[in-house]
Amino acid sequence: MQALAFLRHTTPVLFAVVTLLGLLGTARAGAAAVGNAPQVVGAANAFLESLDGPQRGKVSFAFDDAAQRVRWSNLPVSMAEHRGLRMGDLKPAQREAAMKLLATVLSKMGYEKVVGIVESDEVLRKQSSKGAPAFGRDEYFISFLGKPSATEPWMIQFGGHHLALNITIAGERGVLTPSLIAVQPAKFTLDGKTVRPMGRETDKALELVKALTDEQRKQAILGSQMRDLVLGPGHDGETIQPEGLKTSTLNDSQRKLLLELVAEWSGIIHDTAAAAKMNEIKANLADTWFAWSGPLEAGKAYFRIQGPTVFIEYAPQKLGGDVTMHIHSMFRDPTNDYGKKFGGK
Amino acid sequence: MRTGPLSCLLLLLASNAWAHRLDEYLQATRVSVATNRVDVSVDLTPGVAVADQVMAAIDTDRDGRVTEDERAAYTRHVLKDIRVRLDERVLALNVAESSFPNLLEIKAGLGVIHIKATATVGPLTAGRHVFSLTNAHLPSISVYLVNALAPKDPAIRITKQTRDDLQKDYRLEFGVNAPRR
Repeated sequence: MQALAFLRHTTPVLFAVVTLLGLLGTARAGAAAVGNAPQVVGAANAFLESLDGPQRGKVSFAFDDAAQRVRWSNLPVSMAEHRGLRMGDLKPAQREAAMKLLATVLSKMGYEKVVGIVESDEVLRKQSSKGAPAFGRDEYFISFLGKPSATEPWMIQFGGHHLALNITIAGERGVLTPSLIAVQPAKFTLDGKTVRPMGRETDKALELVKALTDEQRKQAILGSQMRDLVLGPGHDGETIQPEGLKTSTLNDSQRKLLLELVAEWSGIIHDTAAAAKMNEIKANLADTWFAWSGPLEAGKAYFRIQGPTVFIEYAPQKLGGDVTMHIHSMFRDPTNDYGKKFGGK
Repeated sequence: MRTGPLSCLLLLLASNAWAHRLDEYLQATRVSVATNRVDVSVDLTPGVAVADQVMAAIDTDRDGRVTEDERAAYTRHVLKDIRVRLDERVLALNVAESSFPNLLEIKAGLGVIHIKATATVGPLTAGRHVFSLTNAHLPSISVYLVNALAPKDPAIRITKQTRDDLQKDYRLEFGVNAPRR
């Protein structure tokens, strides 16, 4: 709940914050009953209806637009092309509708995480010198591929620096893969509260690796430095050979820790889709692997969870000094990125 | 005028904590084995603080422009520094494709050089095989990643990957199933 804690305060800053604050009362209320297609479609259409004609043209892409599908990055938006509508160019009501859509299509936890990542970028903006690349909560883009539909597949993309959500919706089904979830600074203070948008995954991973037996840990630990994500942006469709510890060897409590860790990514999407995804991951647990590289300290080590339908990487970045303050992660499904099982490409 | 903003960008990249790749030349390699070939793909990302050293290796006449010949020569240079063996036999890597970012992107630490090369082998006999790779390209500024892609050929089973701490040296053990009769 840390990511939301600061949002409950009404610190008077820019309007955008007011918008985000307002979402707690409006968007989150809408998220309480997520998981059904009409609600998501309704929120998407409400956003579209708030736009003028040129904006609707700008936000909408064909479902099979292969170039737009892969137009995402971990880089600041001034360094990597983004298309769609920039949050900073939206009117307050439009921006609120966009955030309400996110709150509807994401879980409560997922929405908080996303808002926390956006807010961390706002911290970067405030710390940056004049002339620095574009940071901050205005520098995120939203786009649709296909038309919002309760039956046919369509996509919502939301992202910017350190965030790329690729959400494919097909009726009640939904997938969040591939998505880049990253943060810098990974820990910041707002209104006297400490915010760690990726704090739980950092702590849960350490808890898991410490819960392994010596023999299990020996198998899980890769004997080499991992300086970055292996399958970051630009590596759609690739599957690497799994390594580390086969999770079929985990006992019940270790398995519980693993699944709680996985849920930090699989649970970002709305609860119905997240539950389906988790069931799928559980069904394939015997063929899933956990690998670790680095010290047994929170936020200082790389780890990877890889199974037939899940691929999660977490890579602290040396760049910027303190590796615990700059995290990149990827969430993929080798069988269903961009919802290809739903008729996506 | 492009140099002004670039200068600002470089200054900021070098000084600010948010910067992405800075003082490392990341060389990320993927290895794909099949019964008749080995593909090696390398993504090379120079950080902003080491971009000049990488550029010196690419723009060998130091005229500030990268020609097609210089790109081809650098590609050969990289592949010469990546030594690969299969079952102790040295393999020759032939360039399959390559792409280079523009100079500004490289100097800003944002450009990725892609090189894909192929070595023709075999057909491999059934049984155990060992592929090894040593990357000796610009070691004083580089960090490395090496991974095998999951084989598409069901006859191939990867059994073990080992690397040194820096991932300069990599060893891939795999088996080839006997063809069904």
